[in-house]
Amino acid sequence: MTPVLQAQNIVKHYGSVEALRGASFEVGQGEVVALIGDNGAGKSTLVKCLSGAEIPDSGTILLDGQPVTLDSPVTARRLGIETVYQDLAVAPDLDPAANLFLGREIRRKGLLGKFGVLDKAEMRRRAADEFTRLGVTLQSIDVPIGALSGGQRQSVAVARSVVWASKVVFMDEPTAALGVVQREKVLDVIKRVRDEGMAVVLISHNMPEVLSVSDRVEVLRLGRRVARFTAAEASLEDLVGAMTGALTQEDAA
Amino acid sequence: MTTLDGLPTAERRSLGARLLSANTFWIALVLLALIVVFSAIAPESFLTFFNFQQLFIETAVLLVIAVGMTFVIITGGIDLSVGSVLIFAGMISAKTMEWMSPGQDASNAGWGVITAGLVVAIAGGSLWGLINGLLVARANIPPLIVTLGTLGAALGVASLLNDGTNVRTVPLELRDSLGFGTLEGNIPNLVVVAVVITVIFGLVLHTTRFGRYTFAIGSNPEAARRAGIGVTRHLTNVYLLTGFLAGIAGFMSLAYFQSTTISGHTTDNLNAIAGVVMGGTSLFGGIGTILGTVIGVFIPAVLQKGFNIIGVQPYWQMIAVGAVLVAAVWFDQQRRRSQNKR
Amino acid sequence: MLVLATGALVAGCGGQIGQNNDTPAQTGGATPANKNLDLVVGVKNEPFYISMQCGAEAAAKEAGYTITTQAPDKFDPTLQAPIVTALGAKKPAALLIAPTDDKTMAPQMKQIKDMGVKVIEVDTALQDTGIAVSSISSDNAQGGRLAAQTMAKLTSGKTGSVLVLDTKAGTSTTAARAKGFEEELKNSAPNLKSIGIQFTENEPSVAAQKVTAAISSTPDLVGVFATNLNTGEGAATGLRSAGKVGQVQLVGFDASPSEVEGLRAGAFQALIAQDPGMIGRTGVQQAIAAVEGKSVQRNISAPLVALTKEDMDKKAEFFYKTKC
Repeated sequence: MTPVLQAQNIVKHYGSVEALRGASFEVGQGEVVALIGDNGAGKSTLVKCLSGAEIPDSGTILLDGQPVTLDSPVTARRLGIETVYQDLAVAPDLDPAANLFLGREIRRKGLLGKFGVLDKAEMRRRAADEFTRLGVTLQSIDVPIGALSGGQRQSVAVARSVVWASKVVFMDEPTAALGVVQREKVLDVIKRVRDEGMAVVLISHNMPEVLSVSDRVEVLRLGRRVARFTAAEASLEDLVGAMTGALTQEDAA
Repeated sequence: MTTLDGLPTAERRSLGARLLSANTFWIALVLLALIVVFSAIAPESFLTFFNFQQLFIETAVLLVIAVGMTFVIITGGIDLSVGSVLIFAGMISAKTMEWMSPGQDASNAGWGVITAGLVVAIAGGSLWGLINGLLVARANIPPLIVTLGTLGAALGVASLLNDGTNVRTVPLELRDSLGFGTLEGNIPNLVVVAVVITVIFGLVLHTTRFGRYTFAIGSNPEAARRAGIGVTRHLTNVYLLTGFLAGIAGFMSLAYFQSTTISGHTTDNLNAIAGVVMGGTSLFGGIGTILGTVIGVFIPAVLQKGFNIIGVQPYWQMIAVGAVLVAAVWFDQQRRRSQNKR
Repeated sequence: MLVLATGALVAGCGGQIGQNNDTPAQTGGATPANKNLDLVVGVKNEPFYISMQCGAEAAAKEAGYTITTQAPDKFDPTLQAPIVTALGAKKPAALLIAPTDDKTMAPQMKQIKDMGVKVIEVDTALQDTGIAVSSISSDNAQGGRLAAQTMAKLTSGKTGSVLVLDTKAGTSTTAARAKGFEEELKNSAPNLKSIGIQFTENEPSVAAQKVTAAISSTPDLVGVFATNLNTGEGAATGLRSAGKVGQVQLVGFDASPSEVEGLRAGAFQALIAQDPGMIGRTGVQQAIAAVEGKSVQRNISAPLVALTKEDMDKKAEFFYKTKC
């Protein structure tokens, strides 16, 4: 089966610093792939390259087997690739529905729509549907998102990416700032999305979480892929060993 | 948290709850209280049709500026140049009308000339708005500095146009129509224009995508950028809009004062900012309403008017207006802080 | 009386630029080597100062002197002081200056004086009277009194209230006008009552607002005295807005082109004009007298004149100029 998204030999320099030195990566339909590595291994840079935020110096990115150029996040999104950022890219003063539809507002039909008039009721209704579908519970849909708890805010951010992604969702540390209950809720959302056939890429430092939620694990070290595991067959020691360089797989790069 | 999460998903709060938590509700109460107090003290001179008519006329120009300022402040920016841009727009408009008139005397100019004057005023205001926008959004210079620069520059160019003096003649037709004409004999045209502009841009802010993006950018520009909003372009447009409205205000001022008032309007920027902020718009961006701005602009106007009528000493007026300004914002912040602590 | 006499005298010289009937410099004496004068006015592009400059330049030319005029961008001592300081390098024979602050400008002017430059104050003056050899200024209090007399004539014996609009609290020139008006009103129009001095922050919008508020609170308002250009324009707007143009008499101050136009159109019923051309001319005459070691008059009061719609065309020389 062709992977949905595949990266081959990606190289990215920041000045004299070589962040990625020929990194490869792949994720298939309906699977959660965890991308792990020590700080500075190049995870964030790779995600940026695959979500259009950075343009790689060299290497190939294949979407459904076809080479693509992701020159901006807008291009990536148009191709069905969404990203949930670590630093909560939501507008805290807007309500959840407004955040869900940010940049993709539904306009009224007819002349009013031509003037840019929004169909707020429709957006609210559809947002409520989506939140229900994804199991996101909010006490109210018309308070600013800044007044919600951290978990609810993150759930909205995750929901926003998931609702609009048609192929791949990147999640950069989606549970880092959350308590136990909230973390479980977000992980539930991830599993639901995977079950609907989406490709999910999870970046996380939390190894037990990685093993519990992902199907496969790919390990980056010093800007290269150094190991690949099937989550069910891997142990915590394997992952840590691969991240620190104690364990290497010849075929991984 | 569990109890909250247990509630049904995505419920809307009741109208009453939303009203009570709205910033505009409380500030409207302050305005109402002021009107009641002054009416009680001086019923026969404050609570008159004439007085309120004048109050609306005298606030019309500032209101138009404040509407534009609301957009800018919601993006987290500021525009100090509005007063100078207003004068520039009035000046270039008046000069154009004089140039087009025989003997440089625009007193008897007709509607063709006046229309040209209006177009030039709007274009002139928009031009400065565009300059502000490009410098803020593209060159990434802080708006405080950009508009402080254009505050001086716009006034300088306006002064150059007529050697630093007011133009001599303004069309009488303009004075008698926009400046002092009335609709149905009672509603001053100046007020009609201000109301129409306020309503239009209130709708733009609160119902359109343009308005939504304005809030989003003020709330979190990075989030807006990641959501695919053209932040640079939108910010430019917001400053352009403010300049456009300052241009209209300049034309209104010209019609009303029959003068380019070149040494006036020096505190319009601060008055507009004060009105906007009193109306509950956050200087940090992301929050605000046009209705709040309307109320915020009227509070100092009513205070001034009331004090003048009941004969409070001028020095006390300054102190009282300043104190009410600070108190209104302080009160609003306290309320908001307690709300966020829940 | 004095007003009429000096007014006539000034009208005589003001109308004859180019003639030199009363220029002392022409009478010769010790001709100094340095014939450079400098004029530093209060602010750029103000018709009042431009008219003063015109008078000064004409007088200097007649006497065979050269005069250079400089002006700060704003009426502000922090902008005017550097101009004066810079003159230290040039050392003119005399400096004519309209100090923008009666205290702040003293050190710079003293410095110039200590270099041997004769200092003449025009329009405004320092509190320290030991620096300038001569001061020529409009008698603002007299202007206020003249305004009160004019108001009395315009209201022709009616009973009622008048409003006085001052600029900013603490502006000495306009305060003197307002005070002179209030004092004289008691004498020349005992049936008119001042409802007090209101400050307008020198903003036309505030002036308009004060006027309409006064109309609300004082139904018997018959007159408004506006102490400068901006308050006058604002007051005219307020009266028009209230539909009281012509019913409430508006007396303005100064005769800028827009005010003259307003007088002609009926927005103002009278203007109290200063004579900046005469101030400039006299300033130069005094400067030359000082430079040439002749006697100098320490204080000269320039007269003011009331313009009404009826007599304005006869007094056109009092209209302020935007260029010479």
